[in-house]
Amino acid sequence: MPHQCTSCGRTFPDGSKEMLSGCPDCGGNKFQFKPAGATEDPAVDDDAGSPSAAADPSPSTSEDGPASTSDERATDSTPDERAADSTPDERAADQTPSESADATHSDDAASADPSPETDGTEQIADRSDEDTAQASARSEVVSPDELDRASREVEGAETSSPADAEPQPGIDALRDELNDQFESIRIVSPGQYELNLMELYDRQEYIISLQEDGRYVIEMPDAWGIQDE
Amino acid sequence: MGLLTNLRDSISRVTDGLFAADDPKRIGIYGPPNAGKTTLANRIARDWTGDAVGPESHIPHETRRARRKEGVEIERNGRTVTIDIVDTPGVTTKVDYKEFLDHDMEKDDAVRRSREATEGVAEAMHWLREDVDGVIYVLDSTTDPFTQVNTMLIGIIESQDLPALILANKTDLPGSDVQQIANAFPQHETIPLSALEGDNMDEVYTKIAEYFG
Repeated sequence: MPHQCTSCGRTFPDGSKEMLSGCPDCGGNKFQFKPAGATEDPAVDDDAGSPSAAADPSPSTSEDGPASTSDERATDSTPDERAADSTPDERAADQTPSESADATHSDDAASADPSPETDGTEQIADRSDEDTAQASARSEVVSPDELDRASREVEGAETSSPADAEPQPGIDALRDELNDQFESIRIVSPGQYELNLMELYDRQEYIISLQEDGRYVIEMPDAWGIQDE
Repeated sequence: MGLLTNLRDSISRVTDGLFAADDPKRIGIYGPPNAGKTTLANRIARDWTGDAVGPESHIPHETRRARRKEGVEIERNGRTVTIDIVDTPGVTTKVDYKEFLDHDMEKDDAVRRSREATEGVAEAMHWLREDVDGVIYVLDSTTDPFTQVNTMLIGIIESQDLPALILANKTDLPGSDVQQIANAFPQHETIPLSALEGDNMDEVYTKIAEYFG
């Protein structure tokens, strides 16, 4: 159950197009993505599972709303989609609306689920279905070029974080350059200043007093009584 | 008779106006720190008004506020040119109090001087934008003129279409190289001088009258 609305907790199968225009239940536009592999992480399961297990004893009342909407969603979707999504939808309807309960399907959810052994087989089939749905959904929307670019960006982000030595100075230099460009007077330390002459020249107001905390007093153009600009 | 006198007076006023007696041009003396701007301003003011403009010093950033000397009348070739001289603080991109520590200055004084010098640069740039009709750009002819400050300021002056006279100062010093300055700004006329010694001031006044009259 990869996508979950962060405001109402409704879950969506991977490849679902419903959430593209916001959560149909609450209108939320923020979702978290949990790939199938991550749900198997025991640490996550334990953390997320315990509160949901406590919430499990009273699922029937809270279940009504989301269950009905997920039914609606099932009828909305095309037959093909429903075939691919049927198992996750059913599971969403069966269990509590909170996604964390879904994440605990292997252990905790077994007690809540009436048919644990079918659930286990469904999980495997589910995951393979998700993969194809994911693949098809992405192939429809994302061009290979974009994928390449995205993967390159991910690679770049991954390599930049451990190897701080090389890319960091570039960022610092860029920041310095931006400071130089946009600040008319930069206080390096008390008594040490760097001035951007073009910026000083371009500004209409006139700096008349500097203070060491970075503040400065300016004389506003209005005070001159000059109306030519 | 009275009519004629009135007529003559009004003609006189008109010609005075033509020669800028009523509306003197405001000429900013610009340049990097320690180029001799105040020495030149004092030289001009003393030569034509008897007063000085401000204290001179070999310590950079002695002039930290723009100082004005109004109504300086310069006579050239039987003609009078009246200008207001604005001696501006030296323009630079970096001010560091540590450079003043070399001149036997306490740290607190050096820090204050540094802050005032920075305010002075801001003021000089402000004058350049708003309040000058022409520029006398003073350079120390013993130093390399190819600097960011010089290039930027000359560029601004040119973009404003301000008349500009470039002076290669300190020709009395052994390392003076006027030609280097002339090469740096070939689009402008470069006049050599020693403001301190008063060398070649005649040519300077002639050019001032020519450029700003």
